[in-house]
Amino acid sequence: MDEMGLTFRKGDLLAIGGVLLCAVLVAAGLWVRARGVDNVTAQIYRDGELVREVPLDRDTTFDIKGDYTNTVTVKDGAIAITRSDCPGSDCVHSGWVSGAGRAIVCLPNRVEIRLTGAGEVDAVIR
Amino acid sequence: MKRTKTKQVALCALLIALALGLSYVERFIPLQLVVPLPGVKLGLANIVTLMALYFLGPRTAFTVLVLRCFLGSLFGGGISGLAFSLTGGLLAMCSMALLRRVPFLSVYGVSVCGAAAHNLGQILAAMVLLGSAYVAAYLPLLLTVAVGTGLVTGAACAGSFRALKAAGVQGL
Repeated sequence: MDEMGLTFRKGDLLAIGGVLLCAVLVAAGLWVRARGVDNVTAQIYRDGELVREVPLDRDTTFDIKGDYTNTVTVKDGAIAITRSDCPGSDCVHSGWVSGAGRAIVCLPNRVEIRLTGAGEVDAVIR
Repeated sequence: MKRTKTKQVALCALLIALALGLSYVERFIPLQLVVPLPGVKLGLANIVTLMALYFLGPRTAFTVLVLRCFLGSLFGGGISGLAFSLTGGLLAMCSMALLRRVPFLSVYGVSVCGAAAHNLGQILAAMVLLGSAYVAAYLPLLLTVAVGTGLVTGAACAGSFRALKAAGVQGL
C-alpha cells in the first residue's frame, strides 16, 4: 500500500533539512544586516504611512490609535507593544524587539513598527 | 457516470465541512502562547487539503481549498483573513501537488514543504498588505515551526487513510 507514500522515507529528512536551511539562511541574512548598526530607531507605520519615529535610547510609552489601540513601550533600548485591544493580541505576544531590521506587526490595527539603523540600513533594504 | 459525479460532490462537501470544523477547533489550541507570532497555527485544515490531494487528485483538492477559504472568511476572518488563507493555501497546495510526484518523498516530507510554503505565502501576503519587507523577519521562526506542524498534519493524513482503509471504505 505504500506506493501512495504513506510511511516516512529518508527523502523526507532532505525536505525537513531544506526548510530548516532556508530558516537559517534568512536568519543569517537578517543578522548580517543588523550587525554593527547602532542608534536604532523605531518607525511606526499605520496603513503604510509613517506616523511616528522614536529613538530606542529614550524610555517612553504612548498609544497608537486606529481600529484598535496599541500601547507601545520603549525601555532599555528595546520596544514592545505592551497592551492591545485587538483580537488575538499577537503583537503583544511578539514581545520585546531591539535589533535593526526587526519588526513588530499588528495586522488587525494595520500597524507596523520597523526598527532601522541611522540611514544606512534603509538604503540596503530598499 | 452520474453516480460518480454525485459521489464526488458529496465527498467535496464532506471535506470542506471537515476543513471548516478543523479550523474552528484549531482556535482553541493555544500554539501562539508557545510561539508568539502572528499567523502561527497548527494548520489542521491542511490535513484536509493533503487528503484531498492524495486521494481525490489536485483538481478536487483545489476546489475544496478555494471554497474552504471563502466560507472560512464568511465565518470570521474577513477580507484580510481571506487574502492570507488564499495565498498561503494556494502556494501550499501547488507545492504539495508538485512534490507528491517526487518518488523519494512520503506524505510527511510533502506536508512539511506544504506547511513551509503556506507560511511563505502568508508572509508574502503580509508584505503586500503592509507594503514592507520587514515582515520577513518573522520567516526563520515560522519556517522552523512549519517543520513540526507539517509532520503532525502528515501523520494525521497517513493515519486517517489507514483508518479508512481498515474500515473498508471503497473508492479511495
